[in-house]
Amino acid sequence: MVRAIKGVLVECDPSIKAIILDIDSKTHDFVVENLDESHLIIKDNKVAELKRMLEERLNEHTKVDSLEEEEEEEDD
Amino acid sequence: MSSQAMKSFEHLEGLSEAIFKRLYQQPATALAIFRRMLPNLAKTFVMAMLFNPDPVPVSSLEACVHPDQNRLKEEAFAKLRQLYIVVEKQGAFALDATFKVELRKALTGGGTPGSFGLPCDTEDKNKVDISFLDRYAAEQWESILHFMVGNETQSSRRPSEGVVRLLLHGKLMEQTRSSEIVITQLGFSFLLQEVNSQVWTLLLLYLDMAEQLRMDPVDILHFLFLLGSLELGQDYDMKSLTPTQKGMLEDLRDYGIVYQRKSSSRRFYPTSLATGLTSEIRSLRSPAATLANATPRNAENGFLIIETNYRMYAYTNSPLQIAVLNLFARLISRFPNLVTARITRESIRQAINKGITAEQIIDYMTANAHPQLRKNTPILPPTVVDQIRLWQIEGERMKSTSGYLFKEFGANLEFNAVRKYADDIGVLVWEDKNRGMLFVSKHEQVADYIRKRAQSSR
Repeated sequence: MVRAIKGVLVECDPSIKAIILDIDSKTHDFVVENLDESHLIIKDNKVAELKRMLEERLNEHTKVDSLEEEEEEEDD
Repeated sequence: MSSQAMKSFEHLEGLSEAIFKRLYQQPATALAIFRRMLPNLAKTFVMAMLFNPDPVPVSSLEACVHPDQNRLKEEAFAKLRQLYIVVEKQGAFALDATFKVELRKALTGGGTPGSFGLPCDTEDKNKVDISFLDRYAAEQWESILHFMVGNETQSSRRPSEGVVRLLLHGKLMEQTRSSEIVITQLGFSFLLQEVNSQVWTLLLLYLDMAEQLRMDPVDILHFLFLLGSLELGQDYDMKSLTPTQKGMLEDLRDYGIVYQRKSSSRRFYPTSLATGLTSEIRSLRSPAATLANATPRNAENGFLIIETNYRMYAYTNSPLQIAVLNLFARLISRFPNLVTARITRESIRQAINKGITAEQIIDYMTANAHPQLRKNTPILPPTVVDQIRLWQIEGERMKSTSGYLFKEFGANLEFNAVRKYADDIGVLVWEDKNRGMLFVSKHEQVADYIRKRAQSSR
């Protein structure tokens, strides 16, 4: 019998997929089905949260460019 | 037609059959819907059936289409059904009778006079010319935009209560706890759209509200499509309008879509905002351009200079333009005639989070580029343009589509048949032949198809 499962298909790079699987490994609350190396099925209501956590992980290693924050100093 | 304006029309697709049947009673509306909402193939089908008294068998329509273009054909049929333009029976299509009659009238010029607007037969003592109408439209529209940006100095030109209610209803602005009215995220992205789509967005909100005010939405749509077919510079008589439509005139005056010398005057002039409603021509390019056109001292249109080091120089004084720049760039300093700014990763990411797209930002910068910058080809430095797009993609590392996963098919044959059906109707998103799984964006039709197959094989 054919089964139909509701969810959100997520398409991404293999490296991003690895990060998503890592995030999921803690709670197993996100991934419904692991399809192939660039596709996953995620629970409908967990997509926004997953996006947020993914961005946090990716931005962990990005530093805001402090050059802009410096005031131009006047030479007296 | 620009993609943003197309989206406005898609909103109309969700209306009920009863409303469409009433809409088709006017030739101007039937023509506007035919022009603007049908893909070219659907238009060909309609023309083939238009002067044919009998229903046309589906097979002869399908014969017009190359077998490879199944997707286009299904799309055309689906659109025609969705808009209740065709009725299907026993393998033949027939055009909806009212639609047929009215579209014929529109094309061959029959029908009641005044169905495409009744020009005034008497001379106007206070005749206005096209440049006056343009200035009037620009002023009214600008006052709405200035108000949205929170521009205090223009308080004398604050838009009317009706406009404010509309903006609140559409969530383009909201009321804070201190009863101040401030702009929202949606409002920001509205500001960066081109004028024609802004006009449509407001008019669709008006349509929404009208049902609350108990104005007939069909009448409103009739009038809007009628306005789209009027001639700029010609004055029209109010005699041929229904009471609802007469009431609309006052609101439309506030938006700058029509001009009426005073409320008791019996003639009105459409402005370029009205005639641009159903046309492809972008008459007023952008808020900044209209402002420049309206104030004679700015002979040139553009004021923005962007350098390859991501610095921006804006030769402007207008609080509206400065506020718009603030949406996607970091303002550094302000002088009497100049504002300097920098485009940074942070500022672009912030703009993206507010719902503004890279394309909108790039279009806005191109439209407002300083004449000095326009001498370059390409106008904007490619490094900056590409980087803005890259920063947008950075936030889109995963692409998500919602829908249904179908798996555990009985036999390969069944999987292939269902897969082909899903592909034909255009909902197939992903498949894996080896494991017999597929993902579709809309499941009802596929589920029906599977059920029918199961029943027929018993």
